[in-house]
Amino acid sequence: MQHQKILGSVAAVAVVLFLGACGASPTSGGPTSAAGADKSNTKAQEVYGRINRLTGDERTKTLLDLAKKEGTVSIYTSNTDLDKVIDGFKKTYPIEVKVYRGNSESVLQRVMQEQQANYDGNDLVETNAGELNIMNGQKMLYPYEGALRDAVRKEGQADGWTATRFNVFVIGWNTTKVKPGEEPKSFEELADPKWKGRISLEIGDVDWFAAMYKHYLDQGKTDAEVRDLFKRVAANAKIAKGHTAQGELLSAGQFAVTASSYSHTIDKAADQGAPVSWHPASGTPIQPIVIRPNGVALMKTATHPAAAMLFVDYELSEGQKILHESFRVGSIPTANDPLAGLNAISVPEKEMLDDPKKWDALYEEVVQSGQEVK
Amino acid sequence: MITASPTVPARERAMPGWLRRVATPKTLIIVVVAGLIGYLALVPLYYLIWGTFFDANGFTMGGFARAYGDPRVGGMIGNSLWFAIGAAVLSLAVGTALAYLNVRTDVPFKGLFFAASIIPLIIPGILYTISWIFLASPDIGLLNKLIEPVLGPGFFDVFTVWGMVWVEGLHLSPIVFLLMVAAFRSMDPSLEESALMSGASRWQVFRRITVPLTRPAIVAAVLIMVVRSLESFEVPALLGLQNGIYVFTSRIYFVLRSYPPDLAAAGALAVGLLVLAVIGVAISNLVGRSSKNYQTVTGKGFRPRPMELGKWRPVMGGAIVVYFFLTVVGPLLVLLYTSLLKFYQAPSTEAFASMSLDNYSELFHISDATTALKNSLLLGVGSATLVMALMAVGAWMVVRSRIPGRQLVDYFSFTPLVVPGLVLGLALSFVYLRSPVPIYGTIFILLIAYCTRYMPYGMRYAVTSMHQISSELEESAQVSGASWWQTFRRVLLPLLSPGLLAGWIYILVVSFRELSSSILLYSPGNEVLSILIFEQYENGQFTVLAALGVVMVLTLAVLVVIAYKLGAKVGLRQD
Repeated sequence: MQHQKILGSVAAVAVVLFLGACGASPTSGGPTSAAGADKSNTKAQEVYGRINRLTGDERTKTLLDLAKKEGTVSIYTSNTDLDKVIDGFKKTYPIEVKVYRGNSESVLQRVMQEQQANYDGNDLVETNAGELNIMNGQKMLYPYEGALRDAVRKEGQADGWTATRFNVFVIGWNTTKVKPGEEPKSFEELADPKWKGRISLEIGDVDWFAAMYKHYLDQGKTDAEVRDLFKRVAANAKIAKGHTAQGELLSAGQFAVTASSYSHTIDKAADQGAPVSWHPASGTPIQPIVIRPNGVALMKTATHPAAAMLFVDYELSEGQKILHESFRVGSIPTANDPLAGLNAISVPEKEMLDDPKKWDALYEEVVQSGQEVK
Repeated sequence: MITASPTVPARERAMPGWLRRVATPKTLIIVVVAGLIGYLALVPLYYLIWGTFFDANGFTMGGFARAYGDPRVGGMIGNSLWFAIGAAVLSLAVGTALAYLNVRTDVPFKGLFFAASIIPLIIPGILYTISWIFLASPDIGLLNKLIEPVLGPGFFDVFTVWGMVWVEGLHLSPIVFLLMVAAFRSMDPSLEESALMSGASRWQVFRRITVPLTRPAIVAAVLIMVVRSLESFEVPALLGLQNGIYVFTSRIYFVLRSYPPDLAAAGALAVGLLVLAVIGVAISNLVGRSSKNYQTVTGKGFRPRPMELGKWRPVMGGAIVVYFFLTVVGPLLVLLYTSLLKFYQAPSTEAFASMSLDNYSELFHISDATTALKNSLLLGVGSATLVMALMAVGAWMVVRSRIPGRQLVDYFSFTPLVVPGLVLGLALSFVYLRSPVPIYGTIFILLIAYCTRYMPYGMRYAVTSMHQISSELEESAQVSGASWWQTFRRVLLPLLSPGLLAGWIYILVVSFRELSSSILLYSPGNEVLSILIFEQYENGQFTVLAALGVVMVLTLAVLVVIAYKLGAKVGLRQD
């Protein structure tokens, strides 16, 4: 008797606690439904609109006055090299910076969840193109304008956000495993059986894959031919997970060649003395090179809009030099542009946005079926 | 936790009879604990189930089709089972043997031994796995280079299912070790001694007496190991993918990778695991069911006394040294070696000449390093203490009470084990972004996440210990007039302490590595160590990461030894 009552109260308490916390039902706006976060913080948008029209000293002065009053700025980013830029910003301006760092997926998830719940967690977001495009599609971002944006490489002047740096996918190799003169001349060459077991693909590089795939279609190859090429490359490949692990294993000699390394991963390792390179002894790097922008965007719901804009201005000016020191390729071309004269191709952003599952599935299939060709 | 105060007589008079009977400290504590367990488990479970079966258009089974519809799913499940069962068997054998030697024999170097047995758990999975690549890759493995003159090139190959079993099994063996240490510490040696006196050989005693007596612990260990290895992704990703060995969790990775993450398919996979886990919990309860067979802590006084190994002592000492060289010292040396370099390279004179402490000094210049260490310690100690306190009561309900529906407490406490970390993170941020209590954006949301994630382990540790304690002890306390709470506090808690301590150590150690839900839930100022590890990794700072790994191992090993020394002073004493 008594025990049944206990159980009854247990159940009741559990239910009350549970329902209490889930004030809103997940069905009202879950992670899979559209966010529609088109609510406006008019104050922030007024500030953005006003500053966007200003230039030069007037812009900086107005921004700084407003930003000082705001006192702080909250940044969500997946750029792990942003720390040094933030340090520089803090030294230049008396503004407190709160920064959340995650991977690009968690940055996106977090912004989505917070916006759906009308929680204004961040003033600006700094992450990958794909994630920024999704946020822009949900009308969460306010366009940033000015002379600095106009100077950005045209691939980086996206709707709703502005590129700050580019991820550059290159073919890299271990210089003790691949002697000078033996480097592959092209991506197609990696399908040659002589590279069997010596090259590495990365399991998550769908964006790189989509860009290369489109490139070969544009070159006049048929779908079947392109798939066959990738499958033959995959048949030669060892699959790695994560560019860092892949890069470290390339330095250690586990792989001789990586098909889609980040240039900065290789440049950093080479700077430390590792036997890796993406520049052949003779001539120019293997092309085409896939570039994909990472960028920054202003949140419509920002509570510190001026400080956010001040940060974007800083990242696109002084910040570019700091990023360059971390071997990142900045979005504003400089005199010694590492991409000058190279055939750089872009990721088909619109297609990836419209049907991301298609490319995921295709790359998964290519990688897996390639491996069965043993 | 909760202090029981006697009911005020004035209030008592005002209360109706039934309420007075119900509103005892015992009922209150039970209701609160059951409520908390139910609440912690149901939030992510509800989110998972809802996401699995409902989309914008209502009920759907599409997730199952996408999750299991792949033509290769059969092979994946085969690989997964091979991998999971292999790793479970290996960790069980290794963990049990080490625990037995540590607790029940007079093996040399015990303190060191205890810390060393935990180290594989402390090293972050990604570092442990990459260390093994550096040791046993057929192309660049140091062990392979070492034995090449004898056995030819590429003798060891870590990129096989056996390699995956080896790395995962060793990495998980501390969970078994801790469970079995607790079980062995609560075992009356007189049973084994009687068998020996009656002429049984040592091996017979181990097989016929020792193992059957610790069966609840063994079942719990197998259950946790199998589920853990089925879900594990780090080892299969780094070792399996290279040669095209795909496991079940590779699917979860693929379906959660794109935006929007396919929660329905991930949920469908988790539901598959859930079914497996529920069956496992049912079996484990059946095995340990209220039977007196495992109750080794009885009214009869005993002192667990170590068995003398005699002439075997040096042999065992030697075997342990060899084992540790292979599994602990090897990877740890690789880590230490890497942490002194600028980039990983095979040992050579140049490599040694280039060594420096730069990576360590860089570590101390990371702005949030001290905050992160402080937060991780706070969260680790906090969640370990909370979970073990809750689970001590929970285990009593499951094992001892006759409350109808008590098994539900057990099932609920186990469900978080199958919820992917990302889904837990999404569920918690969904709930607390809408909660009137400001928890989102504070460190408490991480505490809630950690308590949820580690509840299953806490429960297994507590239940296993509870099975060993004879009910006659409680009965005598109650006959002597002790209240339920007094009995619980003065009799059960001290006797449970080996199991509670083992669970506590486990949670403390693994909480330092929790990333998949932390990364979504932490806020500026609440950074934890795992976020720092992730950042260094993303940034390509592998050598700095190795340095961080070394620092973590040192910090946690010291903490574990302190906890173990303190714990040895409570409860059952050893001679």
